[in-house]
This record gives sequence, structure tokens and C-alpha cells, in this order.
Amino acid sequence: MSERLTNEATVDIALDALRSLGVASGEVFLREAQSGSVEIKEGAIESVIARGERGVGIRVLDEQRLGFAYTSDLSADGIRTCADTARRMSGVTEPDPDLALAKKAIDDADLDIYQVGVVDRPLAERGAVALTVEEAARAVDPRITQFRKTTYSDSESTTIIATTSGVRASYRESYCGVMTSAVATETSPSSPNGERQVGYHGEAARRFAELDPVRVGQRAALRAVEKLGSRPLATQKLPVVLDPWMAMDLLRAIGPLFSADNVLKGRSLFAGKVGQRVANEKITIIDDARKPRGLRSAPFDGEGVATTTRTLIDGGVLRGYLTSLKTASKLHIDPSGNARRGGYGSPARVGPSNLFVAAGSDDAEGIVRGLDHALAVTSLLNLHTIDPVSGEFSLGATGNYLERGGRVHPAQGITIAGNLTHLLGAVVGVGSDLVFGPGGLGSPTLVISELSIGGA
Amino acid sequence: MDQGAGIRVTSGERTTYANGNMADVDDLIALAGRAARSVADGGELHEASEPEPDSVPGHSTVAIDPRSVAVERKLGLLRRANEVARSLDPRVQQVTASYGESVQEILIANSEGLLRTDTRVRLNLAVHVVAKQGDVLESGFEALRGTAGFEMLTDQAVEQAATDASRRAVLNVGAEPAPAGTYTVVLSSEAGGTLIHESVGHGLEADLNLKGLSVYSGRIGQKVASELITVIDDGTDPDKRGTSAMDDEGTPTNRTVLIENGILRTYLSDRKHAEKLGIPRSGNGRRESFRYLPICRMTNTMIARGRSDPAELLRSVKDGVFVKKMGGGQVDVVSGNFAFEITECYRIRDGKLAEPLRGATLVGQGPKLMSEIDMVGSDLGYSTGTCGKDGQGAPVADAQPTIRIPSVVVGGKLK
Repeated sequence: MSERLTNEATVDIALDALRSLGVASGEVFLREAQSGSVEIKEGAIESVIARGERGVGIRVLDEQRLGFAYTSDLSADGIRTCADTARRMSGVTEPDPDLALAKKAIDDADLDIYQVGVVDRPLAERGAVALTVEEAARAVDPRITQFRKTTYSDSESTTIIATTSGVRASYRESYCGVMTSAVATETSPSSPNGERQVGYHGEAARRFAELDPVRVGQRAALRAVEKLGSRPLATQKLPVVLDPWMAMDLLRAIGPLFSADNVLKGRSLFAGKVGQRVANEKITIIDDARKPRGLRSAPFDGEGVATTTRTLIDGGVLRGYLTSLKTASKLHIDPSGNARRGGYGSPARVGPSNLFVAAGSDDAEGIVRGLDHALAVTSLLNLHTIDPVSGEFSLGATGNYLERGGRVHPAQGITIAGNLTHLLGAVVGVGSDLVFGPGGLGSPTLVISELSIGGA
Repeated sequence: MDQGAGIRVTSGERTTYANGNMADVDDLIALAGRAARSVADGGELHEASEPEPDSVPGHSTVAIDPRSVAVERKLGLLRRANEVARSLDPRVQQVTASYGESVQEILIANSEGLLRTDTRVRLNLAVHVVAKQGDVLESGFEALRGTAGFEMLTDQAVEQAATDASRRAVLNVGAEPAPAGTYTVVLSSEAGGTLIHESVGHGLEADLNLKGLSVYSGRIGQKVASELITVIDDGTDPDKRGTSAMDDEGTPTNRTVLIENGILRTYLSDRKHAEKLGIPRSGNGRRESFRYLPICRMTNTMIARGRSDPAELLRSVKDGVFVKKMGGGQVDVVSGNFAFEITECYRIRDGKLAEPLRGATLVGQGPKLMSEIDMVGSDLGYSTGTCGKDGQGAPVADAQPTIRIPSVVVGGKLK
């Protein structure tokens, strides 16, 4: 096999290539990842995927113009070509006085995000996680008959960043997750061919032993079974209960409002609102890139800036934004280390790490028992279409229609609509049951005073 | 530049797929070893047939290879889009214009001797405009996307896209919030085809139907839609975003009639599911890249033209909602419930367009909605998107004529 350079040696070659091209300021980002997945069908492993990737992304800053290129061809020639492309690209982009590459050394932080050998576990052991999920789901209710898809996946990766000015750091991380979509079937006089409903749930962890496949199966099964017998709901305004998982789905859409890039471009409803009330006083939102074992924890971001823990909304008041080097410079503040990078092939974008709503002290169930009627949302369709610019959301939904906290019937074919900023203002209850989900998001149960429901 | 390969080995019911970045033939042999090892332990590997290269006809013309076009020319188009979008209205606050080109070189070889290649040149010029009025921010979006050469990006087309994106942002910022409720809806052909993609297309993918999980499972030959409805998936539609010469297993793409005058005819298949279901290979085994296994999915999907005058559909509605542009959507294929975003729509009063509405969505159940459509226009309009399934993105186009739905739930706000 052709000689394979180590990751560190590859980075050295790229730095040398930048210097030999006469680049005064450049950056090399290397990512190597091994990942895999196991999918099961009818009690046996159906497919196994093993994936390897390794590549570099190179950025060149020349006369305040930024050029970017990437390659998976890590031969000396391939790297040199990539560096030269980045240099050429810097010649055609718009100059910006606030552009910068990292200069500060990165502190050593052990975030406990790496477990050796996650991807090297025997296939039988990895498949067993998925099988356990399905067994647990079936045990919940005999109406759980099938699964749309049950997948276990894992990965281990190494990230290195180095600049021509001497910043250099690396970290390793591991990840494993399991998800399922359980299908419940029931025949009834109204649907003699059988009504079918699906329930999705997935969880992930940094360590293999922290995955709880039984809980994943049980929750997916409950999600499916509770939708059986769904009826439409009349168009009306109703108080809405968001369990932690549903609240996380909406929190994901709120993330972009904190991006300094969006703020500076006039694309965020939080622009110009620092120090002002933007949410109910019960709401505190934190972005914590240094949460031990956090799924999006990392010691530094995609630009080589040390990460931080930020309180973004404190008791309803907006305290600040998430920033990159450039956006922090424009706002005359220290960068928060939120230039996130999906891989070697993508340039950095401002985004959250582990973004969560802090636990409250309300008895969410008690609040709902005090409401004549409410809708407890159980799934949302079309979350990807929420426009973070306008904050408007109008989503397909399923839910349980409640009277004094008790379930009257499940509802389907309805919509919920509102604005993300109004939603934050309309939170009247924050539970103490904070849960973290995949994607690093976290939330307790939230009770919303009122949303518009579209229906019959 | 990203270069890699994937080796798929099937043995009985089990598939193993090893993939990675690849620089030379040694890397490829190492991948093959990884994939084969899981099978070789217990089973046996067959002698492969000699590769027999052949070629399949393409359906895109690339007169100008985008790689040969100077970056200054591309930047010039973006600057022009920016100027046009900003000049439309003082409420335009921010314009983001982006250009992307992708050239994929694909080679598929299998142990049956198949050896085919395909080159896919895809372009994407998108304009996103933010307008502000008082405290309200709204955005407008338009994109030019196709499997075609740089000649598709004419100055005129780019100016039109910038104008549409800008006009939509300004229109929405001054619009009333859509009122939630059940309405008669006319979906313009200009609205694109998100409806057919979500409400029907995903439910016709063979993998879901083999598991019996789709609302369309086991219903071939049965009536699943109004007799006015014919649904076609066409991977050969010239220059469209979902077009290619072959799918990602080497099967030539096809024009597949899925629903004919309301009757379900077949499903969208890859090799494995075509065989298991005993249906023809439709050339719909697609993958995002060498990092993924192929899965059954759409290419360019459409409701075929009907016979009604599109203007008559609007005139026929006394009180309803007219959808001029759809955005993204999602479906729960098991129950058939779907939702899609509406990015431009108006109230219909007495057969005429009235005030614009913003923040609307449309929800329904696929087979139910498809059986209720009672008028289909003689026009046809396309839209483009990136379809997500099982974590893989695929470029697609969708199309439909103007259609009328007598009663459907529109999501929005209540005063």
C-alpha cells in the first residue's frame, strides 16, 4: 500500500506548502474519522457500513481577503494544489478588515469526549444494541408490530488545527447513537384495514455504556401507540405542552437567532436587543461547549479559538451572541469560539455547541392539571422550514388533547403556528426535568400559554 | 476535491459496505478486503464476471463546462443578483446570493460484469433576500438549479430569480398572517411540486413498500387518487436537477408512470427492492456519494398536465387560498400525513386574488388529498430542492399543473 503519512506529518506538509507559496497567514484544518452503522431487520443484521475519511481544509488570509479549499488527496502534490487553490481564491473574495486567523494559544481542557475503541467493538455487540431497542419496544405494547428503521451508529475522529502563526492543537472524540421508528398497528371499525402510526426516538452518547437502548425502544413505542385513534381538532387557540424532546426541536430553530453573523446581517430578531427582555423571566438559555461528555463539546472551534460557556438569555434578558473571530471583531468583543465546522470540506459557520434551556422549578404536570384544555405535542413535521429570519413557524403536528391534564384523545392532521420570539415570551412553565438529546440540545418540559392550532 | 470509493458485498440477507477516501488502487483493494472479510468468514465469494463496459445515453447538455468559466464571471452574476434584488424596494435589508457548482464523476462496476460511468454537472445559483418593515422581518428565496452547463445561468434568468426573491420578501413583510383553518385551495403550477413529492412520492418508494409500511403498500392496481391524477417520476427529463444518465447502481434512469388516472402502477425501485417485489427496475437507486448505500428515491417527480384552463380554477373559488409558491415539506410515510411550507400565497375572494398572506403551511394525508383533487389544469411548473432521506441528500425537481383541492387544513395564526 502507498505510504500513509501520519495526521501530524500531513499538517506539517500543508504548513510548509503555505510557506513555500509565500502565504503570510494561513490555516490548516485536518479531520480523520472512522465511522460505522449497523441496521437490523426482523431480528437480524441487515446492513453494515464502515466509513473512513481523511482530508484537509486550508484557509489563506491575504490582504484581508479569505480563500478556502479542501482535498482528500493527501499526497504532497494534492496538498500543495489545495494550498495554491486557497491562495488563488483569496485573490477574488471581498476584503474585510475584521477577518483574522487564530493567534492565541488554546488551553488544555479534558472534556471527556473520547472513549478508545468505540468503533472497534465486535459487530455482534453493536448489532445487539439495535436488537435490544426493538425488543424493548415490542415489550411495551403488542400493537408494536414493525419498525421503519432501527440503526446503531458510531464514530471516532481526530481534529487538528494549525496556523502559520504557531497556533496548533488537536483533540479526539467518540460518538455512538441508536435510533428507531417503531410502528404501531390497530384495526378498528373506523379503519378496518388497520390504522398505522409511527413513533421516533433516538439517543446518543460519547461512551458506549452510556447508551440506554431499552429507554430508546420504550419511548419510540409509546410515541407510536399514543397516536393510535387520532382525530382532527377544531381550529382554535390552546395552551401547549412541549416535553423536553419537542422543546429541543424548537430550540434548534432558535439557535440561529443567537448567531452574530445573522445579527450583523440584519437577519436575526435578536439584533440590537442585548440587555433587553426577549423571553419570559423563567427562561435561561446557555451554550456550553465545555460540558463534560457533551455531544457537541470541543476544546476549540473550527477556527482554533478556545471554546467557552455562555449564558445567552438570563432570566429572560438577552446577554449576548455566539461569535467567530470576524464577527467578534466587528462587535468589539472577545470571540466565543462558536465558529463550527462540519468537516474538512466546509468553512466555519457561527453556531451553537451544547445549547440548552436551564432547568426551572415549576411542577409542569401541576400547571397542566390547572388548565381546562391544552395540547401536548407529540411530534412535529417540517421543522426544517422554520425561517430563523422571520421567526415564523407553522408546522404539522400530532398531539394529545388534554382536559385538566387528562388525555381526551390524540390529534393528527393539525398545525401549530406562532413566532419563535413570541413563543419564548409565552412560556408560563419551565419544568425541572432537563434532558439532553442528540445534537447537544437540552431542555426541560415547557408550558406555553397559547398557540394557534389549525384544524377542522 | 473529494475522491473515494465504496465496495458493497451482499451475502444472503446481509449487506456490508466499506467506503472511504481513495488515492490509488491499493486503497481500493484494502476497502474490498474490509467489505469481503465479513462475508468470507462464513460463506464463499463467487468469481466475478469480466467487466463489460457499455454506455448509457445522457439527458443533459453541457455546452459550457462551469469549470472553464472564470470565477470573475460567476462573481459578476452574484453582484448583478445583489443589485437587482436591492433596487426593488427600500425595505430590502439584506441580500445573500450564492453560486455552487458540482461535477461528479461516477463509475459503477459489479460482479455481474456491469461497468458504466456517468458525469453529472450540477449548478445552483440561489438568492435569499431579507426585508424589514417595523419589527417584522421576512425572507424571500429563489434558486436556479439544474443538471446542465453554465449556459443555463443567463443574465436574464439570474435577474428574474433575484427579482422574484426580492418581490417575495417585500410582499411577505407587508402581508397579513395567514388565518388557520380549513379552506378550498388552488395550488398554482408556479408553486412547484413539493405537494406531489411529499404527499405521494415518498410513499411510493419500494423499500417502504417491501416492509409494508407505506399507505400505498400492497395497492398496485388499486385506485389511490382521483382519476384526474397521473404521477410520473422521470430521471430522463432533460437538464432538470434530478436528472442523470443512470442511477447510482448503474441502472439507466427512466420515465416511470407511478399512478395512471388514479390507479397505482408501480413503485420507485433500486435493484434489491425491484427483485424482492417482482417489479421492473426503475433506476431510482440513488446515493449522496460513495459514502452511502443506495436507497430508493425520487428524481424529477410530477403530476401530469390535466385538461382544465388554469384561470378557470381560480375563477371557480368564491372564498379560499391561492398558493403561488411552495417551500420545503415533510411526510410521515407510515400514516401518510404531510406538511409543506407556503412561501407566497393570497386569499381568493369571488374568484380573484385578494390580499397576500404570510406564514402559511398546508397539511393533509396523501391518499385522502389525492382522491379529493377535483380540477387539474393544463399547465405545468417546476421547482427544485434537495430531498433528505435516511441522512442522505439528493438533488430533485418536482412539477405540477395548477390544481384545486376542495377542502384542506391551512396552518397559520388566529387573531
